[in-house]
Amino acid sequence: MNPILVLGGGPAGLSATAELASLGAPTLLVERESYLGGNPKRWHYSLLAPDLRPAEEVMDPLLERVTGRPEVELRLGTTLTKAERTATGFSVALRSADTTVTREVSAVVLATGFDHFDSRRKFEYGYGRYPDVLDFKELEGMIHDDKVLRPSDGRPPKRIAWILCVGSRDVQVGNPWCCRMGCAVSIKQAVEIRQKHPEIDAYVYYMDIRTYGLWEDLYWKSMQEYGVKFIRGRIGQVTVAEGGSRLIATGEDTILSRPTEVPFDMIVLASGMEPGTGTKQAAELFGVPVGPEGFLTPRLSDLNPVDSGIPGVFFAGAATGPKAIPDAVTEGMGAALRAFQYARR
Amino acid sequence: MSIVARLPRRTLSLTEEEEAAPPTMELTGRRRMTAEERGTAATIFQEFRADRRHREFVVGCLNCGECTTGCPAARFYDFSPREMLQIAQNGDATTLWDAMQEKIWACCQCYTCNMRCRFGNDIAGIISVMRELSVSHGLESTRRTLAPFGRSLTLLMTVGTQVASDMIQPDFFRDWGPFATGSDKVWQVSAEVMRKAIPSDVLQTTRSSWEVSVQTSLELFRIYEETGVLDMLRGLDPDLTEMLIDIIEERREEFVEARERFQDQLAGQTGPVTTFSG
Ligand code: SF4
Ligand code: SF4
Ligand code: SF4
Repeated sequence: MNPILVLGGGPAGLSATAELASLGAPTLLVERESYLGGNPKRWHYSLLAPDLRPAEEVMDPLLERVTGRPEVELRLGTTLTKAERTATGFSVALRSADTTVTREVSAVVLATGFDHFDSRRKFEYGYGRYPDVLDFKELEGMIHDDKVLRPSDGRPPKRIAWILCVGSRDVQVGNPWCCRMGCAVSIKQAVEIRQKHPEIDAYVYYMDIRTYGLWEDLYWKSMQEYGVKFIRGRIGQVTVAEGGSRLIATGEDTILSRPTEVPFDMIVLASGMEPGTGTKQAAELFGVPVGPEGFLTPRLSDLNPVDSGIPGVFFAGAATGPKAIPDAVTEGMGAALRAFQYARR
Repeated sequence: MSIVARLPRRTLSLTEEEEAAPPTMELTGRRRMTAEERGTAATIFQEFRADRRHREFVVGCLNCGECTTGCPAARFYDFSPREMLQIAQNGDATTLWDAMQEKIWACCQCYTCNMRCRFGNDIAGIISVMRELSVSHGLESTRRTLAPFGRSLTLLMTVGTQVASDMIQPDFFRDWGPFATGSDKVWQVSAEVMRKAIPSDVLQTTRSSWEVSVQTSLELFRIYEETGVLDMLRGLDPDLTEMLIDIIEERREEFVEARERFQDQLAGQTGPVTTFSG
């Protein structure tokens, strides 16, 4: 049997690879970056929602399951440049640095994931201009190293604001979908910071709180046990206070129907999830359908969310839409099974 | 296929049913209104909801308040574009009536709210639809609100402009605060600088900016006549409307005379002829 190609080494791709290997299927895991682990590794995610377990505790076992196994051929720093259908599957061209090799594969799992929204596109928040306006993925790293300090002067902040839905639920930037994670991750960050530094005030500006399902517990506890404050309304602009370095967040408190202007030491943007560049490239190469949002579209998203509808091509993870790690891992398992069945047909 | 794509598309035109019977709502009677006011409020509500622009401008709302954040009027008055949009979307006849008494006139039509709205509403647009209705129904409150602006209105409707750069001085624009007076410590902007910021093609003085060609005046007025603006105004202020008509009649006569003079001159000439029509 020719190997099964898994494209993307994030949680979904790792999970698919691990399952394929345990089924004894030869698997070719291709990752664009020089490391495995996807966005959680890239941005040094701290604790993961919903169980608030350290990212390493979740990611390391996944990584262990794919490394050093005879069934798995690992190609890092590699991209797919060509894919052609053959009698037995696909012939794919893989480029790394300056060499390109052609390989025959029997089936493909696209686990190409998402990219964080580039918050500079919401220029009114001053991300990229004001050093103390952070993207929440950057704060993850700071929390992880317990170095939550203002980038501008290295001093600890006294008051932090989170702005939810940055680059999500917004037709101005062309992203009308919800990122599913932003609320939970922001609240989790606020809790983590309040746990270690109760002297720091945490405010979350929201339109809706979408800690769906059992994650609601996180939202409740953040208020009951950690005193995180929630203000309903969006910040519409961030400026710098006159003669100082504090940031001023201007918005409307939509519950009180009153304009608000609050100084903060640090402002954190919950940037949304967009289809990754790898996802767009893979869609073109395999001719798989893409929805208006740019995510890959399963043929039957209810009955078989991992089937592309194109024989031999399967999906896993955030390539089909914003997804949490547990969902990405589950889909990796499903896609592995479907790809294995196809390869053995 | 995306989930959204499977939902029925919102159309911009009314269905036949709706066309025949525009949406109505019972008056809640939360405030004291005379029978006549109730009647007008109900009519306005129906006209408002049946206006095609309502469907186009009001697409839904997340109540996020981002429109209000950037709104200059919201900083100074008890006014919020979010509230206006909510009223336009969900309000009943009485709420609409209330908002149309005063609030809608706080807006300066800068369109910042539209730029901010992440749902794609035309908030400034729907506010101007409300204003249109309040003018065309000659609401007493609108008459009162607009009374001090008779002079501006006359200029706007007869020469199409009413500010000129040399008007930018503290006496005229007290509400511009320190910016216009040049005493502002942060910006150091003087009236002189602001005048210079005005593009040269509009760099007119009060005298020259109000001197427009007869043709421009007539064309402008023609637009007001054809689009129904004049009729709207008549309901609100018949005297002002008559005065405007008089001014324009004079200009028309001026124009006709000029045309005759021109044609007379032409009669004595040979060569290519330019036509001159009004
Ligand atoms: S999950 Fe929360 S932050 Fe993300 S788009 Fe949805 S509502 Fe906004
Ligand atoms: S157009 Fe009116 S409502 Fe909108 S921001 Fe400007 S003043 Fe406010
Ligand atoms: S910005 Fe748009 S969506 Fe948000 S409150 Fe205003 S009208 Fe509603």
